[in-house]
Amino acid sequence: MGNKSISRKLKVENEYGIHARPAALIVKEAARYTADIYLEKDGNRVSCKSIMGLMTIEGFPGSWVTLIATGSDAADALDSLEALFVAKFHEA
Amino acid sequence: MKMREITVQRLLDQGADSLKLKVLAGEDYLSRKVQETAMNRPGLALTGFFTYFAHQRLQIFGLAELTYLKNLEPAERRSRLEAVFKQQIPGVVLTRKRRAIPEILELAAAYQVPVLCTSMVTMDFVNACTVMLDELTAPTKRVQGTTLELMGIGVLLRGDPGIGKSETALALIERGYSLVSDDVTEMRRTSQGRLFCWANDMTRYHMEIRGLGIIHVPSLFGVSAIRRQTELDLVIDLTMPTGEEDRTGVLQETVDILGVSVPLIMLPVRSGRDMANIVEVAALNQKLKELGHDAAKELDDKIISRLNGVGRGQ
Repeated sequence: MGNKSISRKLKVENEYGIHARPAALIVKEAARYTADIYLEKDGNRVSCKSIMGLMTIEGFPGSWVTLIATGSDAADALDSLEALFVAKFHEA
Repeated sequence: MKMREITVQRLLDQGADSLKLKVLAGEDYLSRKVQETAMNRPGLALTGFFTYFAHQRLQIFGLAELTYLKNLEPAERRSRLEAVFKQQIPGVVLTRKRRAIPEILELAAAYQVPVLCTSMVTMDFVNACTVMLDELTAPTKRVQGTTLELMGIGVLLRGDPGIGKSETALALIERGYSLVSDDVTEMRRTSQGRLFCWANDMTRYHMEIRGLGIIHVPSLFGVSAIRRQTELDLVIDLTMPTGEEDRTGVLQETVDILGVSVPLIMLPVRSGRDMANIVEVAALNQKLKELGHDAAKELDDKIISRLNGVGRGQ
């Protein structure tokens, strides 16, 4: 059960894309779950628990990324991370 | 391992300065793919001999080819050149800043082949361009891990997020070793089967340290604390203790990266353990092994020979 990997496509909708602050928010949220969570874009896959990784994927505004999670709380992790994307990382 | 194809455009972008490349004709066909890192001088093909003609390669027209062509009758020259252009070649390079023969420019358009020129001498161009093609076509990969160079030994630290890769790296930087990349490492495999590591352009020389945030390493520790690229010699996985660790170091584990087998050490992380010190010793030990001195194996051999000597009553 817990080892099934689930994924979801999300759009980066905030004004400046995935810069340091959104990256930190993603890491903070991802760290609450035991699941392995990755973000994939253009064939590059980085851990959502790595700030440096997230800053290298070039998540510019309007681009699409894929979240992939594996583990017992994977579904919850995707829900909460999706909420973060939808809320545009709480940027004004 | 299959090499990556590159377009003539990519070679032109990268080689505009170092290879002094310019486009003479066929600008619209720069998307043609170069499929071999070697180059071909089409001397024999120009005489009409096409057996084993290396048509996937860039065709280099040097002084000899161009002088030969100039000495032909115009109609003959055109038909000889056309026979070469017909072969679906990826591109033509004229060396030594030679003026292009009009037929070459016409045929470039007719057969949709880009024609470039360089001011370099043929031999220098072929050498430099081979090296560049080799680099551009090498298989690459992005891996999660922090890369350091310790006394010429390239070490990749891997491990789950939060296990202490960056903290260990920071301690090693303070001891005078160099950071190559933090957390995300780009790798390239050369045609000789060597692996090189460097940092992503975006985050190069930055590190993230929990509690501190993002720091810029050369600003804090000076330029000697950084290195642009290193050859990978050793992979160290920081792990949670399992009790299954190799206690002797006789069994050398390896990990496959881009088809290259790299020595791997699993290091269990415990609180109070000085990881930087252990990584430092692991790198030194790897250096020793590369020099042909394997401490674990030598001790084991000594024990085995003693045991067998005793067993035979000597």
